[in-house]
Amino acid sequence: MSEFKIHHRSGEGVSVIDLKGYLDAHTAPELENALQKLIEEKKFNIVVNCKDLSYISSAGLGVFMAYIEDVRKNRGDIKLTNMSPKVYNVFDLLGFPILYEIYKDEQDAIKKFQDARSVQS
Amino acid sequence: MPTSARASDNPSADLLPLFEFSNVINSSLDMKFILGTVLLTVMGKMLVSKGMVLLKKEDQEYQVVNAKGVGSDVEGMTFVVPKSPKGIITIRRGRNDTRAWMLFFRDHGIALIVPIVTQGNVVGFLGLGERLGGRKYTERDRQLISSLVNLSASAIEKALIIDQLKEANRNLDRKYQELNTLFDLGREFNVVLESDKVIRLLTFSLLGQVGVNRYAICLDTGTEMKIVASRLDGNEGIEQTFKDLQQLKSPEIVEELARKKRFAEAAAVLLQRGIRVVVPMMTQNDVKGFIFLGKRLRGGSYGRGDLEFLAALANLAIISIENARLFREALEKQRLEDELAIAREIQQGLLPRSLPVIEGFDAAAINVPSKQVGGDYYDVVQISPHEFIFAIGDVSGKGTGAALLMANVQASLRAFAPMGMSLSEATARINNLTCQSTGQGKFITFFWGSLNIPRRVFRYVNAGHNPPMLFHADGSLEKLDVGGIILGLMNTISPYEEGTVQLRQGDVLVMYTDGVSEAMNAQGEDFTEERLERLIKSKLTLSARQLIDEIQTALDAYTRGTPQSDDITMLVLKVL
Repeated sequence: MSEFKIHHRSGEGVSVIDLKGYLDAHTAPELENALQKLIEEKKFNIVVNCKDLSYISSAGLGVFMAYIEDVRKNRGDIKLTNMSPKVYNVFDLLGFPILYEIYKDEQDAIKKFQDARSVQS
Repeated sequence: MPTSARASDNPSADLLPLFEFSNVINSSLDMKFILGTVLLTVMGKMLVSKGMVLLKKEDQEYQVVNAKGVGSDVEGMTFVVPKSPKGIITIRRGRNDTRAWMLFFRDHGIALIVPIVTQGNVVGFLGLGERLGGRKYTERDRQLISSLVNLSASAIEKALIIDQLKEANRNLDRKYQELNTLFDLGREFNVVLESDKVIRLLTFSLLGQVGVNRYAICLDTGTEMKIVASRLDGNEGIEQTFKDLQQLKSPEIVEELARKKRFAEAAAVLLQRGIRVVVPMMTQNDVKGFIFLGKRLRGGSYGRGDLEFLAALANLAIISIENARLFREALEKQRLEDELAIAREIQQGLLPRSLPVIEGFDAAAINVPSKQVGGDYYDVVQISPHEFIFAIGDVSGKGTGAALLMANVQASLRAFAPMGMSLSEATARINNLTCQSTGQGKFITFFWGSLNIPRRVFRYVNAGHNPPMLFHADGSLEKLDVGGIILGLMNTISPYEEGTVQLRQGDVLVMYTDGVSEAMNAQGEDFTEERLERLIKSKLTLSARQLIDEIQTALDAYTRGTPQSDDITMLVLKVL
């Protein structure tokens, strides 16, 4: 099994989480920690880049479900980007495309956040 | 003979477009494209501005899947056609028809209904409006429409099968995904032994797989069922439903539960809290917990497959949670046993391996540790060529703490005794030291004395210990109770008193702990001091060792294997 890695970048008011490898029951707590940390730091504009994510299980999806409400309550969002067809298929099967914004490219998601901010201000 | 027939009168002129049409639609497997092409082709040929295609959804139920010129809200509508017509039907305006589906067509300006038939079964309808310019549908028109529809029927059927296969494939994917989830969790649960983590992972999998964000997980903690994790808009009343829900054997939709009398009350509470499904977590036939789930965020109700999945997930989780509990218990038990082994080792290390030989005297001792290891202690130390210290004590509490405290007392005893200090002074110091090193509620009953060999004088201090019995050879009994307060209770304020006894030949001094006098039989009755006294009195001619053996035999006969909660310790000194 390839290992799971989380890398976190931030800039321009948007935090990007890069996922790599297998996101399953074993590694889900790592993603939880990463999201918890962002929420504690009041960083609610979150982009999750799935470019190097090779597998996601429902426990992994569950982490997004567990925190999306807190994030949206704070006028933020979790947007997902750069999914491989295999990973997208799991999201699709479980009906996530209607619950989350999914973009082809990270930049699209970042732009969306920035547009929303300029509308607000 | 006039040959100026119109192209459309010439059958071969119609054949070429028909051939092309057939080619186009049969080369596609995309239902939407096929239906769109059929509809537009027919509408174009007939010069009609309104048209729609319906496909069979369920038995007798048809859905509008493509519509032109009749309003955008029509697509997706469904209605029941009880007896599908096999031939073309013309709807005449003004004629009163009470059939709902006929009214639907008429109200949307449909004048002609053409069934789509494959292998004798109606799989759908093509509906067409009035022809522009008020022209009627001629018999020839009908034949052409029939031909086009028939040509498309096999393409539609093919696409239908493909759609069904796609759907079946997707269902398989979904099942595969569910199995993956179970596998993923099962593997992880096997290595996770903290139930908190099991519950967290279970929660994530539920949220992800089912697509909910309102849930509660309840577990039987051994004493009561309680909510261990939840995200609901208020938990009020949920715990009151547990008793009724204990009777559940499998996952249930709460709305269906509400229709069963014995669950109606519980279901009403759950519905009020937004709970749609309740999943009992079972081991064998016992309900050990519940999973409550709110509505699915992506819409759709819970199906039978969902409930099956939830049952499997719940069972997987509860087994792991139970295992975690058993593991924790085993670990705790092991920890206690380890601690007891250490305590036993410390205690046994403190006790003298053998008693010194004292000329003119006969001494013997015994310590039988209880299972929990009490804090009993005895000691015999030579402090000068003609002086020996005898000590016996009992620390409150058990285990390592008691053993360590006793080690402290022994250390100070052995330090102070040879310093030429009086027993009273030394006891006061030991008490102060003990007070400093004990926490609340720990204390020691302690008795010690110094035996002067040549003078046969025994001076002692009793700090709250049960008084040793001194049986004089003349038959009288003296209890050595002079001294002061128990060690470790408070710093010494008033000095400890010293008692002095003159020993004579044949005297027997028996020092013991309450494990002897309070040894318990199966009925929970103490051996008692009186019984001990009578027993010793009748055995005064025995040697110190024999006397101890005799007492132990009597204790064994009395307790008959009843486990004792306290150590049994005796120290006997006989004057030869």
